[in-house]
Amino acid sequence: MDVEIRLFESLKKHQPEGGKVRLAAGSRVNDLLDALGISMDDVGILIINQSDGRFDQLLRNDDVVTLIPPIGGG
Amino acid sequence: MPNGYNGKILHVDLSKRSWSVEEPEEKWYRTYMGGSNFISYYLLKNLKPGTDALSPENILIFACSVVTGAPLSGFNRYTVGAKSPLTGAFAETEAGGYWAPELKFAGFDAVVIRGRAAKPVYLWIHDGNVEIRDAAGVWGLDNFQTLERLKDELQDKRIRVASIGPAGERLVLYACVQNDMEHYNGRTGMGAVMGSKNLKAIAVRGTSKMKMADPEKVKEIARWHNERIKTHPPNVGLSKVGTTGLLKGINDGGFLPTRNFKDGVFEGADKISAPAYHETIFHSSSTCYACAVRCKRRVALKHEKYPLDERFGGAEFEALAALGSLIANDNLPAVARGNQLCNLLGLDVISAGAVVAFAMECFENGILTEKDTGGRTLKFGDPDAMLWLIEEIAGRRGIGDVLALGVKRAAQKIGRGAEQYAFHIKGQELGFHDGRGKTGMAMGFALSPTGADHIETPHDVAFQGDGVSKLFPMGLFDPVDPLKTDPAKMRFFFIGQKAWGINNVLNLCNFVSVPIHAMTFGRLVEAVNAITGWDVSLYELVNASERSNVMARVFNNREGFTPKDDTLISRWFEEMPSGPLKGKRIDPEIFRDLVQLYYDMSGWDAQGRPTRGKLVELGLYWLLEN
Repeated sequence: MDVEIRLFESLKKHQPEGGKVRLAAGSRVNDLLDALGISMDDVGILIINQSDGRFDQLLRNDDVVTLIPPIGGG
Repeated sequence: MPNGYNGKILHVDLSKRSWSVEEPEEKWYRTYMGGSNFISYYLLKNLKPGTDALSPENILIFACSVVTGAPLSGFNRYTVGAKSPLTGAFAETEAGGYWAPELKFAGFDAVVIRGRAAKPVYLWIHDGNVEIRDAAGVWGLDNFQTLERLKDELQDKRIRVASIGPAGERLVLYACVQNDMEHYNGRTGMGAVMGSKNLKAIAVRGTSKMKMADPEKVKEIARWHNERIKTHPPNVGLSKVGTTGLLKGINDGGFLPTRNFKDGVFEGADKISAPAYHETIFHSSSTCYACAVRCKRRVALKHEKYPLDERFGGAEFEALAALGSLIANDNLPAVARGNQLCNLLGLDVISAGAVVAFAMECFENGILTEKDTGGRTLKFGDPDAMLWLIEEIAGRRGIGDVLALGVKRAAQKIGRGAEQYAFHIKGQELGFHDGRGKTGMAMGFALSPTGADHIETPHDVAFQGDGVSKLFPMGLFDPVDPLKTDPAKMRFFFIGQKAWGINNVLNLCNFVSVPIHAMTFGRLVEAVNAITGWDVSLYELVNASERSNVMARVFNNREGFTPKDDTLISRWFEEMPSGPLKGKRIDPEIFRDLVQLYYDMSGWDAQGRPTRGKLVELGLYWLLEN
C-alpha cells in the first residue's frame, strides 16, 4: 500500500521522493517511521487523515500522514 | 455543598492578623470559573490604580478553579496573581503539583491576601481552619529547608507548601513562588509580592473528598484520557523526556534564542539536549496530582563544582535555554546546577537567565566593566560567571542588587546604552522561542497582559499542514505557516489564545489539555459538566477565557499601558544573522497593523480598550464605569 507523507520543520529532510512511501499491508505508524529513518522521540504531532494518530495505529492505502517535530510548549 | 468547588474563598488580612470566608453564589463561579478570572476579579474590584506592587495595599491571590482536584490528568494547577512588581501590569503565573488539590480538600477555592505582617509569618490552612503563624524559624532559609522545617514543625509529612526563597524575601523583582521543590509559579515576580507581605509560605492540608456531580463519568473520562496519553504523540514524548525534547527541534528549526536573542542556532545544542541530559544527569521522572504524563525531571550528579541533588528539581526546556543557549553555555551539569540554585533561592529561571545574558552582553560591549562587578569578568560561555551572578542577585550584593530589578530597570539604572541589550516586553523577560521562527508566538509575547509570555497561545508550529485539524473545533481550517505575518496568522493567534485561555481559567495543564495534547474539546466540556453538574458548552468556556483576557486588559489600561506596549523586542525587527532562518525578520509596520487588527477582532478600540459592547457581551457590566 502507498501512504502519503507530509513532513515539517527539521523532519523535512526525511521527505521521500514523490511524497509517498510503499509499505507492506498491516504496517503501523511505527513501521512507517522506521522506513523513513525517523525516531519516535522526534515526532511531536502525528496526524492521520486530519485526525490525531497513534504510533501503533494501523495504516491503510492512501492514508495521509503528517509529522511535526516537538518545537512548541512551555 | 456544590459540586467541584467548595463555595468558599478565604480572605486573609496580614496587617490585622485576621481571616474571613466569603461564599460567592453559584452564578459567580460559573461566570468566572477560576484561576486567572478570580485574580482579575479581585484586583479590579479592590485594588486602587497606581498602587505600588510591593506595598501592603497590593492584593495577592492564590486561585484554583471549579474543577481543580478532580482525579484527571492535568486538573491540578493553581494561579498566583497580583499587580506585578516587575511589570506594573496584571500578573498571573500557574504551577502544577499537589498544592492546589490540597487547598481544595482543605475547604477553599482561593486565598486572597491583603496587608503586610509586622514580622515574617506563614499561613497554615488545614480542613477549614486558618492559622497565621510565626515564620522566624524559616525566614532566610532556602525553599528546600523551608519545606522540611515546616513538615517537622507541623508534624505532618503530608502537608503541601507553597513558599518563597531568600530572593523573594529580598524582593528580587522576578522572585518566584514554588511548591514542593518541583513546581514553580515562575513568572511576574509573585515571590517578591509574598516577600513584601512578610509571608514566607502557605502550608495546606485537607482531608475532605471532592464532591463531584457524576463521579462514574469522571472516572470513565480519566480512563480514556490516561489511555490516550500513553499513545498520543506529544504526550508520549513528554512522558519520555519532558520538555527537554523541545530543544533539538527548536535549534534545528533555527529559532533557539542564543547569545541574548542575537542568534537562533546554538552550536552547543547537542550537549544540552534530551539525549545528553538523559545519559548524564537524569535521575528519575515525577509527576503532579493524578497525572499520567510524568513530564517532570529530577537530576542527580556527583560533581565537585556542579553537584546535583535529585530533591531540588531538574532543568526543563526553558531552563536549558535560559542558562544554556542564551548565554552560550554548553556545560550541562552547570546549567542544571544553575537551575537548582534558582529553585533553592527562589528565582524565576527564565528571567534569571535573561538577566545574566543581558549582563554578559553589556560586559562584552564595555557597558559593564570589572569596576561594576568587583573584578569579575562576565563573558558568554562562562558557566561560573552565571552561577556567581545567580547568587549575587538572590543575595542582592553588588551588581546583583541592580540585576535583581530585571533587565528593563537594570538597564535604566546602568545607563551608558545598556537599554539596547535589555530584551523584555512590558518589563518582563522573554521565554526562549525566537518570534522570527514562530510569528504567532511573537503575537502572544506582544499581546499577553502579563508581558512577554511564551504560553499565551499554542505555538503556531504545531498547526502546520494537517496539524491544523487540532483547531477544527474552534473553526480554524487553514494550515498555519509559522513564518507569516498576515491577517490569517492573526486569526490563528486570536483563536489559539482563546483555546489556551480555557486552560488558564480552569487551571488545566497545557500538556494534557486542548488543543495540542490528549484532551479534546468535546471531552473537556463533558469533564467540566461531570464534575460540576452544570451544562456548560464550549461557547461558555470560550467566553470565560475571553473574559480573562478582557479583564486583564482593563486592568492594564487602568495602570497606564497603551498600544505602544504591545510590541516586540528590537532584535526581531532585524534579520536573523545565521541558520535556517537567516535573513528572516518581522516587519515592524506590518506587525503594528496586525496588532490593530487584533483590537478590531477583539471588540477593542484603537487604543486597545475593550469597548462598551464587548464588556456587556461578556456580562462585565461592573466594568463599564472604568
